[in-house]
Amino acid sequence: MSSADRALALLAAAALAAAPAARAAQEVVKIGACLSLTGPAAVYGAQQKAGVQAAVDELNRIGALPGVKLELVIEDDASTKEQGIAVYQRLIGREKVAAILGPTLSNTATAADPLAQAARVPVVAVSNTAPRGITDIGDHVWRVSLTEAQVIPGALQRAQGSLGFKTAGVLYGNDDAFTQAGYEVMKGALSALGVHTLGTQTFAKPDRDYNAQLTALIGQKPDILVVSALAENAAGIVAQARQLGWQGPILGGNGFNSAALIKNAGPAAEGVLVGTSWNRSSSEPANQAFLRLMASRGFEPDQFCAQAYAGVQVIAEAVRLAGLKGGRDDVEAGLQKVKDLATPLGRFSFLPSRDGSHEPALQVVKGGRFEIAQ
Amino acid sequence: MGEALAGFWDTYQSTVGYVGLNALLALSVYTSLSCGQLALGSSGFAALGAYAAALLTVQAHWPFPLVLLVALILPAAVAVPLGLPALRLHGVFLAIATIAFGEVVRIGLVNWDYVHGAQGIVAIPQEASVWMIWLALLLALLLLSRLRGSRWGFALEAVREDEPAARTLGIATTRYKLAMLVAGAALAGLAGALEAHFTFMVAPSGFTFGRVVEMLVFAVVGGTQRAWGPVLGAAFLTVLPEALREVAPRVGLEPGPLRLMVNGLVLLAVILFLPAGLASLPQRLRERRAAGRGA
Amino acid sequence: MQQVINGLFLGSIYALFALGYTLVFGVLDILNLAHAAVFMLASFAALVLVARLHLPILLALPLAMLFAGLLGMVLERVAFRPLRARGDSNVAGLISSLAVATVFEAVALEVWGPNVERFPFGTLPAEDPAHQLHLLGAVISRLQLTIMGVAVVLVLLLTYLVRRTRLGREVRAVAESPRAARVLGVDVDRVIAASFFISSALGGAAGVLYGLAFNSISPDMGRSVELKGLAVIIVGGMGSMPGAVIAGFALGLTEVLVVAHLGGSYRDAVSFAGLFLILVLRPRGLLGAASLREA
Repeated sequence: MSSADRALALLAAAALAAAPAARAAQEVVKIGACLSLTGPAAVYGAQQKAGVQAAVDELNRIGALPGVKLELVIEDDASTKEQGIAVYQRLIGREKVAAILGPTLSNTATAADPLAQAARVPVVAVSNTAPRGITDIGDHVWRVSLTEAQVIPGALQRAQGSLGFKTAGVLYGNDDAFTQAGYEVMKGALSALGVHTLGTQTFAKPDRDYNAQLTALIGQKPDILVVSALAENAAGIVAQARQLGWQGPILGGNGFNSAALIKNAGPAAEGVLVGTSWNRSSSEPANQAFLRLMASRGFEPDQFCAQAYAGVQVIAEAVRLAGLKGGRDDVEAGLQKVKDLATPLGRFSFLPSRDGSHEPALQVVKGGRFEIAQ
Repeated sequence: MGEALAGFWDTYQSTVGYVGLNALLALSVYTSLSCGQLALGSSGFAALGAYAAALLTVQAHWPFPLVLLVALILPAAVAVPLGLPALRLHGVFLAIATIAFGEVVRIGLVNWDYVHGAQGIVAIPQEASVWMIWLALLLALLLLSRLRGSRWGFALEAVREDEPAARTLGIATTRYKLAMLVAGAALAGLAGALEAHFTFMVAPSGFTFGRVVEMLVFAVVGGTQRAWGPVLGAAFLTVLPEALREVAPRVGLEPGPLRLMVNGLVLLAVILFLPAGLASLPQRLRERRAAGRGA
Repeated sequence: MQQVINGLFLGSIYALFALGYTLVFGVLDILNLAHAAVFMLASFAALVLVARLHLPILLALPLAMLFAGLLGMVLERVAFRPLRARGDSNVAGLISSLAVATVFEAVALEVWGPNVERFPFGTLPAEDPAHQLHLLGAVISRLQLTIMGVAVVLVLLLTYLVRRTRLGREVRAVAESPRAARVLGVDVDRVIAASFFISSALGGAAGVLYGLAFNSISPDMGRSVELKGLAVIIVGGMGSMPGAVIAGFALGLTEVLVVAHLGGSYRDAVSFAGLFLILVLRPRGLLGAASLREA
């Protein structure tokens, strides 16, 4: 626990001990979560669900917000914008939540967030990474997940510093907003570093066979393979690349930051570089506490889980900064003041554009685990 | 009372809007089904209408009525060169050919940088309201039901029942089939454009094979004997997930896979026990009651 | 050359999947949209057998195929048989199989969650990268060879079954005309059930091999193959088994070569455009029967 958390917990304990009657009068602050629990994005929704539930349970347990009880309302948008919109209306109109944790998919967000904006309900996006169309919807939309533009260029630069590559082969998933946005950033970053892209190949999310694309890229003999893919594709890509005989470095984006990569690719994942928002091997207390908590709940977290967890922390912090008041405007006002909050992602603050800001990381897979790349 | 209504509207406005949109899309499949053609190109046509409309609004700032007109005409125009060769096929073959068309359109859009590929076009001003959607739906229903008693309607019926026989009777079957395909394309395009301006954005992920199968399901579950069958089907299946969302917590059902399962089971039940769709329910009940009384 | 190997490998799996599809279509004129779901469940079944019960894959594969076959019979009994008398049985069958597919996927999601699983390392000793063959400058792993081998064996078994056994003859009779077959004393219901068993067992085999080949088992793993499977059976000719096999390999090779020379983005678009052209120019596919199936 950070010292802030500890102080709060002590205060809460003291208050509770001193006035047991006061415990009954708790303000309930409802947080709505619109997550994809079925449909193509279910893998990420499941991670996010675990993250938000853990965060709310933990914050309530330690009494981080004295006199306030956080209540979570989770709804499934089935990975479609149609249900995403319906969920938002329900959360806003029926459940009357104080804040919404934004939809899993960027496409759903661009359709549903405008509703929250119009209703003046704060939205905290925890997995949308499209550069346009999220925070520019309006001033009630906030974002915890770093855009690829905030993560990739630094990661590539650091990788080039240690590996010195001059040519690259690029592979990306072009039918998903997440990986496509990642590719656009990778393209720009590579050319900014003076790296010549020898070839670019694409695949679609449901694909499992990448041999054709990889053969084509490897045949051009680049210095490094740069990949923008989601977790479900990343393991296959890495395994097949190695099986085809590719010995060189592979660098992936946020989608690679998942235990599924190591589990499914096995030994092939050794040495893979991952430019990511969440440094899972960080020794920061907030991160270690998060890892311990998820382990005690029997859940293996990935980046989506960490970001969702941080999202709840941010909302709770906003409530605290607003003087422990949980109305929509209070949360909004509180969000504007969030600064240097200790989260598993690191010290978190908002940029003036309401995008998130914290230190991104470059990880490498070593010995079957993610470590910070030197 | 007024407040309760306002509250209801606040929460369910988008559902009502989507019932209208899904009904239009279901009708776009129905037009071909009514003359016995299983044409499943509606997702492609809807995509064409939606993207054309979005581009005209966002890039060229055309007035909305004009935008809707283009959304009607463009897919209809594309349906002609598509239909002429494709309508020579029948049954599942036509279905697959039109599904292939839809996929080609979707993949084309995913790869087109100008429209930002998978990210789609965002921040489209909300020009379409629920009233507008339902008005369009009512107009479509009116037009389609007018067909029923007319010469056109009889010709379609004949083609549906027995196409070779119809042709020997001198009915220009190809012309009718093509006309219905074009009409369906126009409806789909209109629905696509309205949806784009109702939900602020449009992206290729909204026009998959799964979506057009969904439209077919709306039409068949509702009943394809009359034009209002698909509307009923769309209404029922659009409201179902929302109703389940309402009921689920009280029954202890977590959001997620079980809801999906209930959806599938309901679909199966309807298709097995109500062959002519939900629209035939009142008639079936009447028959049951009459039989009960008679026996 | 590597690309050719890639194509053949991919093609063998497509061929196996398509065989099941085409068998049911040939016999019943029905597109079984639950085929991909059975494909997926069989893969999970094999995973459970190998990972939990520690059975060797050589035993798990036939057991999973048996499981898939039984699922197919259940599917036939629940979703297709009640509809056989109906006039619109094609479309109704499509939808009821879709409903069952939804239920299957929901079950898989509920039991295993949405994550991508893989067979435990060492399931197939051939996985070790040291066990690679170099053939004319291309790399091919023992795993790939094994999978292609199993696929070929299954195809040969099926061909034998259809050509040389009594059941095979009955299946062909029913495919030609169920009424005539019944008159000739064939138990049509039994034959159809058997066809579904075989078709689903093959689909299940494809699922297990796919899971082994790409180390990727998840509730939505059928998504990428279901449309491809459709393309294969059309190109090969609906109801033609050798057609399905040839077309499966052809599609695998084509896809791979398109990727190599045009880039991955257009791979599927080319497949679907090609599919459309085939349908328009030669609907019966490469080896399909020239005449329509009779009632």
